[in-house]
Amino acid sequence: MTETYVPSVYIPATGAVVPKLDPKTVKVGDVVPPLTRPGDYQLWNRYAGVNYEFAGHHMDDSVGHHEGFEAAIGMGPFIHALLHTLLREWVGEEVGRVAKVGMQSRRPWIRGRTLIESGKVTAIRDENGERFISLEVWGDNDKGERLVIGEAEVAVPI
Amino acid sequence: MSQETLISPEMAAAVGREYEWSTSYPIDPVSIRNWAITMYFPEKPPRMYWDEAYAKTTRWGGLVAPEEFNPFAWMRADPPGNMGPEASRPWPEINLGIPCPEFKANIFAGLVVTHTGVRMRPGDVIKSAVNLAGYHEKQGRLGLMLFTTREDRWTNQKGELVRVSRSDLIRYL
Repeated sequence: MTETYVPSVYIPATGAVVPKLDPKTVKVGDVVPPLTRPGDYQLWNRYAGVNYEFAGHHMDDSVGHHEGFEAAIGMGPFIHALLHTLLREWVGEEVGRVAKVGMQSRRPWIRGRTLIESGKVTAIRDENGERFISLEVWGDNDKGERLVIGEAEVAVPI
Repeated sequence: MSQETLISPEMAAAVGREYEWSTSYPIDPVSIRNWAITMYFPEKPPRMYWDEAYAKTTRWGGLVAPEEFNPFAWMRADPPGNMGPEASRPWPEINLGIPCPEFKANIFAGLVVTHTGVRMRPGDVIKSAVNLAGYHEKQGRLGLMLFTTREDRWTNQKGELVRVSRSDLIRYL
C-alpha cells in the first residue's frame, strides 16, 4: 500500500455563531446547524490528552495501515462527544442540556477527512417541566460518506 | 478456515456480571476547562465552562462539566493508581477471570449515553459500576467480528444517578 502523507494543518478559529434553537417554534423536520471538524492530529491529540486515549491507530498512520485502514483513524468516543457539542451549541449551553446521545459507527474517520455532524428533529414532548426534543443525528465525511448514525435527545425548560 | 465463534461457554456464562468498579478523584475545574477547550476547538469554549463567577449567573448556578465529560481519565482514586481502560484494556474477560479470545485488533462500534440531568460539578466524586451486558457476532469486511456490550452506571457522592452508558466494542481476527 502506498502511504499518503497528510500534513497536519493550522486550524484557525472562525468566530462563527451557531443559530440557536427556539423551543417555542421548533418542529419535527427542523435541521441542526452542522458542526465541522478536520480529521487532524491537532484535534485528536487534544482529545487523547483529556480522555487519556493514546491507542496507536489514533496516533500513527502506519498502525492504521496495519489494522486495514487508509491512515490513522479518529476516536469513536470523540465523534460521540462532538455530537454533544453539536447539540449543546444549538440548544444553548446556558439554557438546555443534552439528555441522550446514541451513536453507531459505519465507517472510520480517516485522517485528512473532515467530519460534518448534524441532526434532524423527529419528535417533541413535554415532561416534568422540560421540553424534550428527539433527533436523528449523523456524522459524514467531506466525501459524503456516512461515518456514524444515531439518535439523541435534548431538553429545555418549558 | 473461518472460525465459527469467538464466544466461549465461559464468556456466555459471564453475561450480566458486574466486573469493574471505580471511583474518580474529585472533579477539578481545570479538567472541566481543558475538556471544554477540546470540545469547542478551534473556537473558544462558552464562558460558563471557564469563568466561575459568570457560571453562577447561569441556570446551572456554577461551573458544570459538559455532559460527556470523563472524570476517570488518566487515573482513578479507586482502585488506587488504576489508569483505566488504556492500561487494563477495555475488554472485560481479564476482569471477569475468564480466557480472552484471540484477536488482531479492536475498534469502537457504538455508544448510547443517557444523561439524567444531574450535572457533574467541581468537587464531585463519581462512582462507576460496569457490567457485561452481552456478546454477539457478525461477519464483516474484516472477517468474524465479536461485539461486546458493556453497561456503565455513574453515580455521584450523593448517590444520584448521573448517567448510564452502553457501549459496543468490536474485536476481529
